[in-house]
Amino acid sequence: MIDYCMQNDGAAVVIEGLEKSYGTAAGSTPVLKGVDFLVRRGECVYLAGPSGSGKTTLLSIIGCILSADHGRVSILGQDVFALSGKQRTALRRNSLGFVFQRFHLIRGLTTLDNVCVPLTLQGICPTSARRRAMSLLDAVGLADKADKHPCNLSAGQCQRVALARALVGDPELILADEPTASLDAANGQDVMELFRRLTTEEGKTVVLVTHDQRIFRFADRVFWLENGCAVENSREAQSKSQGSGETGSEQPLYAVSCDKSNGE
Amino acid sequence: MWPIALKTLIADRGKLLTALVGVVFSIVLVNVQGGLFLGFITKAGLLVDHGKADIWIGHKEMHNVDFPRDIPRRWLNRVRGVDGVECAQPYLIGWSDMTLPSGGFESVVVVGVDRGSLLGNVWNMKKGRADSILKTDGIIVDECELAKLEFPEMNEVRELGGRRARVVGMSHGVMGFLVAPYVFTTFDRAAEYLRKAPEVCSYILVQLHDGADVREVCRAIRQRMPEAEVQPSNVFSAISTDFWMMRTGLGISFGAATLLGLLVGLVMVAETMYAMVLDRLGEYGTLKAIGATEKQIFSILLIQALMMATAGAICGLAAVSLVQYAFSTPRAPIIIPYWLSLGGCLLVLCICLVSSLLPYLRIRKVDPHTVLQS
Ligand SMILES: Nc1ncnc2c1ncn2[C@@H]1O[C@H](COP(=O)(O)OP(=O)(O)O)[C@@H](O)[C@H]1O
Ligand SMILES: [Mg+2]
Repeated sequence: MIDYCMQNDGAAVVIEGLEKSYGTAAGSTPVLKGVDFLVRRGECVYLAGPSGSGKTTLLSIIGCILSADHGRVSILGQDVFALSGKQRTALRRNSLGFVFQRFHLIRGLTTLDNVCVPLTLQGICPTSARRRAMSLLDAVGLADKADKHPCNLSAGQCQRVALARALVGDPELILADEPTASLDAANGQDVMELFRRLTTEEGKTVVLVTHDQRIFRFADRVFWLENGCAVENSREAQSKSQGSGETGSEQPLYAVSCDKSNGE
Repeated sequence: MWPIALKTLIADRGKLLTALVGVVFSIVLVNVQGGLFLGFITKAGLLVDHGKADIWIGHKEMHNVDFPRDIPRRWLNRVRGVDGVECAQPYLIGWSDMTLPSGGFESVVVVGVDRGSLLGNVWNMKKGRADSILKTDGIIVDECELAKLEFPEMNEVRELGGRRARVVGMSHGVMGFLVAPYVFTTFDRAAEYLRKAPEVCSYILVQLHDGADVREVCRAIRQRMPEAEVQPSNVFSAISTDFWMMRTGLGISFGAATLLGLLVGLVMVAETMYAMVLDRLGEYGTLKAIGATEKQIFSILLIQALMMATAGAICGLAAVSLVQYAFSTPRAPIIIPYWLSLGGCLLVLCICLVSSLLPYLRIRKVDPHTVLQS
């Protein structure tokens, strides 16, 4: 196994030999079987693969809301295994932004209040929190919906609110789980362009789960998961270099490893 | 956390209302039940509380102001000789019956008051004056008891203990713990109505000089006459109250009813709070996922509980004063001292805090990952 962790201490996400299984009544089912995964700072990486291949699981592990069974996980230079629960919570609060597949907005709160939540959790005073939240709503084109409740918004609008909420705390690393799944093609393109701009203009790191091949061109790299193993996919690698010329085309693709003996 | 807690709480109006009803219910219950109880129980010492005496002297082991045993009147002089005693007067309480126009009779408690000092006389007069008892055959009854006495008019003459009695005044709300109406008159006439020998009385009421210490004087009187029972009026009032508490189980029954009601309130609040949280388990999972600490989650629940307690307490106390205004009568007075309301609010606060604890334990178990997958 290649020990790239040593050389990639500055990377946003370093995952090495990651194993994860879910304990069920029928026994434990392995979901991730020795995955290596690296995202450099400022990269926009897509996680793709068939349904049930463990994409969400991997994203949850990166997001520190799920702990791995084995392997090394380092997020923004911090070894997740070495962190206490509280430290992980702090890492999520201060450095990560989540966009969940089903938005997971809070029903009782208006759009603006929803966007404010991460700032409230950070202890930022309500007035400045609202000002910042408003500017983000403006950025996603929903300034006029600030006082609406999520139930009065369309799926696309909800997704944009969720996006604003993920970005409001100015996180370094943004994790998105199928953010375009409930959007039509045009809306999906908009959202993807926004993610793209976040990386190129603001230097954010984005890890995005999708199986929508039409948007692969927005990624710096596409990481393919299948049966809990990482598989390099040359076609995706190509589509990446077509989609985003300047970033990452000269960065070497690291070897993607999969311990086959672990799998089937 | 205030904005999140407040807004999510208000957003769920249906549940909030149910919980509020629970809180209001608890508050009203504690206050009204407690107030009724206090109203009832303070009647037991009514004569003592309003008697304006500092010390009550009676037969050894006297246990209830309405059930006295004769003591010799000559004790008066011995009491009057004690330092600090301003005046000491005899007081007579006993049972007699009044003949009614219909031919029936009604048991009454006759209270005989010293002519000179009128110590321990009736109060809160509605018709006539309290000192009208000095008039020939004068008695004072309470207007709330008129029905029992078949509605005597002012100056109507009745037969009481086989003797003439004339209604010369009416008080309002001077009603004791017993169902028998009080009839106030002078000591001498009361002795006749009650067929008592003139050399006995029921109690000796003592008023002290300004600045005299009640306990000191009590001790001095006890020393001088160890055969008597000597109590400060507040103690005798409490003794009279205890008499009914111990012998009737009144406290237990009121207490049990209140406790049960509180339990219902607790269940209502806890149930709705739990349901509210169950409903939003996913949202709490989301909050956890985006970095809410356990403390922050708990504080959301605490703030919500606190707000429900506060809002419920305000509505509840308003409802209580309405109930008190509408239903408090001299027969069943609802006496709500500030400490009862305060205690009720504190109790409800505890209920709300306990109610928020259970959902918190449930939220603690929420794994944000599974929540986000669904
Ligand atoms: N909490 C869980 N308990 C048991 N099995 C799970 C759990 N979460 C996911 N799985 C299983 O793990 C596999 C991968 O799930 P997931 O990471 O959600 O895949 P994807 O997001 O790629 O569709 C699936 O087969 C799923 O059934
Ligand atoms: Mg998934």
